[in-house]
Amino acid sequence: MVLYDSTALAGNSSGSSSSSSSKPPPPPLQPQQQQEIDGLLAGAGYKVRSSELRKVAQRLERLETAMVNSPADFSQLASDTIHYNPSDLASWVDSLLSEFAQPPTCPSEFVMDPVTNQTVVNDAWTTTEPNMPQVHQNISYEQQSLNNQLTVVTAMEEDSGIRLVHMLMTCAECIQRGDFPLATSFLEDMQGLLTRVNTVCGIGKVAGHFIDALGRRIFQGIGGGSINGGSAYENEILYHHFYEACPYLKFAHFTANQAILEAFDGHDCVHVVDFNLMHGLQWPALIQALALRPGGPPLLRLTGIGPPSPDGRDSLREIGLRLAELARSVNVRFAFRGVAASRLEDVKPWMLEVNPKESVAVNSIMQLHRLLGSEPNRNSPVETVLSWIRSLNPKIMTVVEQEANHNQPGFLDRFTEALHYYSTMFDSLEACTVQPDKALAEIYIQREITNVVSCEGSARVERHEPLARWRTRLSGAGFRPLHLGSNAYKQASMLLTLFSAEGYSVEENDGCLTLGWHSRPLIAASAWQALSDAPAEFPAPDTHRPS
Amino acid sequence: MALNHHLSCYRQDHHETVGENKEKRPKFFINDHADILIEILKRLDGRSLCIAASVCRLWCNIARSDSIWENMCFRHVSPPPSVRSVVLALGGYKRLYMGCVRPVRSRLGRARRASWARDEVQLSLSLFCVDYYERLGGSNSNGRLVGESLPSSLMFLCKPVNV
Repeated sequence: MVLYDSTALAGNSSGSSSSSSSKPPPPPLQPQQQQEIDGLLAGAGYKVRSSELRKVAQRLERLETAMVNSPADFSQLASDTIHYNPSDLASWVDSLLSEFAQPPTCPSEFVMDPVTNQTVVNDAWTTTEPNMPQVHQNISYEQQSLNNQLTVVTAMEEDSGIRLVHMLMTCAECIQRGDFPLATSFLEDMQGLLTRVNTVCGIGKVAGHFIDALGRRIFQGIGGGSINGGSAYENEILYHHFYEACPYLKFAHFTANQAILEAFDGHDCVHVVDFNLMHGLQWPALIQALALRPGGPPLLRLTGIGPPSPDGRDSLREIGLRLAELARSVNVRFAFRGVAASRLEDVKPWMLEVNPKESVAVNSIMQLHRLLGSEPNRNSPVETVLSWIRSLNPKIMTVVEQEANHNQPGFLDRFTEALHYYSTMFDSLEACTVQPDKALAEIYIQREITNVVSCEGSARVERHEPLARWRTRLSGAGFRPLHLGSNAYKQASMLLTLFSAEGYSVEENDGCLTLGWHSRPLIAASAWQALSDAPAEFPAPDTHRPS
Repeated sequence: MALNHHLSCYRQDHHETVGENKEKRPKFFINDHADILIEILKRLDGRSLCIAASVCRLWCNIARSDSIWENMCFRHVSPPPSVRSVVLALGGYKRLYMGCVRPVRSRLGRARRASWARDEVQLSLSLFCVDYYERLGGSNSNGRLVGESLPSSLMFLCKPVNV
């Protein structure tokens, strides 16, 4: 192995990196990176740093693909391009690649610009309209090269999409191993690759979010940074738009309402405890259904739990007033109580003021997973909360959770699962045409992704677990499952048919309902009843109603 | 001569009958019987009802009255008696039909089964109620991220079906 003088190395590499234009400025050279040059290649006359071998190999592959796809440019390369010293293989490959990847000047409007600012909605197609007349003038002259360049772009896009996924997985694996410098270099490469991929839809968009999240993990650490500090007000707005853009929350609300309605049949004094009130969008439909039930409406009490609102606004009370007004319009006796708590585990049962004579329903839409810790069943908050729920003796507890395994201890497994899950979810969101709901819904999902990928410990609250594990956990905590029934299934199917996309599917899973996209379940709804401790003299009432 | 006489007699008779027509109303004129008119208009479909509304002022007033739309909503189902007060409180039958029932029926058109009629209505009522609730929120300054477009849970019904 021949070692070159390290100062000459430094001089060489800094010279080449300042002249290559396609890469972003590299991070300051750390001492470990001034390693020896690979000896075998040096024997053949090429100077490549050992740490860069992998990168250079990947880029050579890319160059080869690009050359194969556009033979017309090859001759141009041979005559026109200024080549760098080929013995410095890394920068030579970079310069050639930048020749190929040069976005063509005319059809830049055809290639969608990456959406960099997520909160601004840019419809790429409408922005192309004013440019169209100019393009047409040039087309007749440059038709040939245009077609060739478009082919290159398309081929490179597909290729880039697959490469992005591979690089994401490799980067995650580096992070799991603790190899942060290599992970950082992958991150840069991915960011570079992202500029050549369509990030308005498809794999490019999802990859962009995951790259962001990985970047946060590497550079900001696992404490969560500012993402979880998003104000409760912002969260409510995003939640509302997520509700409008896709059917997951509507499915959750309607299915839970149907189960609660059936459980409350024949009871005159009912109390619903909502673990996350938000804008209270679930409850109008229940109030209306209770108003129209045969036998007349019961007295309905609703206790809504939510985060405390800053600056003096009492948002819980405002929502309660709105619901009360609606209940008054439809002649349902209604009482509301708000419980402000920043974490669900801070709520104590006495705060809910449950009257022993009333029938209680507990409603948890995507809240229970926040109580899970990393250690299974070790005095985690979920055990405490489940036991006090049981002490309320609820007629029914409706639980809706994301159907995914995002609470695995190993980072790479979690990352892989999340990549698949959120890709499917973004696919389903493509069908939504309503703006700005769609853009804001994406931000809502992006926050989940960031939490799953870049946080650890108490900062990571999105600890989704699949239905099978919830079943075990809830059965172990003294609950028995209630079948959701055919009315709920019918309603869910009808609700889905109303949505414009034809990819959604409702499935029944042993008494629970799942909503998914193209047979991948994404959200699961189930209903439970507390087992009584004493041996029952009378059998528990069966709330499954045949249709 | 006799022909002329006959003709003039005929004309006279004719004039008399025409005169009668001018002075007396025909025996049956639909606008005199609003209750029958309502029964007929109640059975029209939405499009025909809108066309009927442009016939004359009486028809227009009737077509705009909420009771006609009640039939449109509950055509194949017999609703429970308490529905009327609920629907009127939430915005009326016409709004229920135009906002919920019609899009729900047309969207479910292909996949519809006869047994779903009651469930369609129930689903429409639920969606209608959520919409009313959101409209309540719009009047308060709850604040929106985007100034004008209120998020409405019925927006997804307004957009054309994208197959």
